Amino acid sequence: MIEIHSLTKSFEKIKAVDEVSVTIKDNIVFGLIGTNGAGKSTVLRMISGVLKPDSGTVTVDHMPVYDNVEAKKQLFFIADEPYFFANSNARAMERYYSGVYENFDRKEFYRYLESFNLDKGRKINTYSKGMKKQLALLLGICAHTKYLLCDETFDGLDPVMRQGVKSILAKEMEERGLTPVIASHNLRELEDICDHVGLLHKGGVLLSRDLEDMKCNIQKIQCVFASVEEELKALSGMEVLKKEQRGSLRTFTVRSTREEVAARFATVDTVFYEVLPLSLEEIFISETEVVGYDIKKLILG
Amino acid sequence: MIVIDYKDTRPIYEQIVERFKTLILKGAMQSDEQMPSVRNLAMELSINPNTIQKAYAELERQGFIYTVKGRGSFVSGDSGLVDQRKREYMGKILLLVEEVLEIGMSKAELIREIEML
Repeated sequence: MIEIHSLTKSFEKIKAVDEVSVTIKDNIVFGLIGTNGAGKSTVLRMISGVLKPDSGTVTVDHMPVYDNVEAKKQLFFIADEPYFFANSNARAMERYYSGVYENFDRKEFYRYLESFNLDKGRKINTYSKGMKKQLALLLGICAHTKYLLCDETFDGLDPVMRQGVKSILAKEMEERGLTPVIASHNLRELEDICDHVGLLHKGGVLLSRDLEDMKCNIQKIQCVFASVEEELKALSGMEVLKKEQRGSLRTFTVRSTREEVAARFATVDTVFYEVLPLSLEEIFISETEVVGYDIKKLILG
Repeated sequence: MIVIDYKDTRPIYEQIVERFKTLILKGAMQSDEQMPSVRNLAMELSINPNTIQKAYAELERQGFIYTVKGRGSFVSGDSGLVDQRKREYMGKILLLVEEVLEIGMSKAELIREIEML
């Protein structure tokens, strides 16, 4: 388990991370979502023990991380722009990481290199950007650490590669209890694979919730009531997050479960009624609009 | 075996549950046949294994599969499942029948349509 308490980090005048507290449990896929500049990379680097927080604590399996080799052995950090030694090739990088991570699986690494068509003898500085990311990912996966911290790693991969990597992550999660932590500004990308999502905005945490939990507890209903009384009857006691009306058509976003909504509307007289699916973006907007933040950038990004 | 439709707005685990239910009820999977392992299915579909666990837990809860510790999950031998499904479908059909009768179709017309199936 990775525990972060009141983490704060500033760079000169810029407060990049502001009192961030998050818990990342084992064997789940944790998505760290935020627009550019929200503080995701900074948080990941503090978890990696590479950056020292100004205040607050970061522990990995109850061990403080900074300058702590025992804790760092559990982590592998993949930067958004992966670094490789000058003039090195995949083979050289494997030799380096094998020396650093005692559980590095060399056989697996070379097998993956072959199936992803990456030439182990070719100079990495001749690789395309996408290939460099692929290589970094494979090195990280084969290091067999408990936690894999990915900084916008998926964002540079082609769709086929993305599916391939997801499949490998699934295997590693099941076989050895890997916990991937994936930072991204692309909600749609993470929606399908994350168990838990932490939303960062301007250095602070807007929410940290289990995805299924969030999805189950917000419903969107579109209906036409038979009368104003029926509308009042339907909505009384319900937490309405958003309400739109076009003529007699009402669209509500409420905090409730599907069953509660179905039970309630069974007793209400409606001319038209349907439950609409909510996209993750809509759920996020509903959850955070209450606090007044504008996160539309996450949808376009 | 299982195909995920990403455009479908239902959660992925629900789709998995539905597809396995259909396979089992239609006889494509036999009683006591072994279900794919969570690991293999997660790899094949490139999805989070926790999602598969959730789907299997739901299938077990509804009585479609059972789990043997250390060995995996297997299809139930319960013939009552087909009856349950028949009743589910009947409920939905009757709701639709009500609606179509409400907008003006006659019962005779409806029966004629069914007989032509």
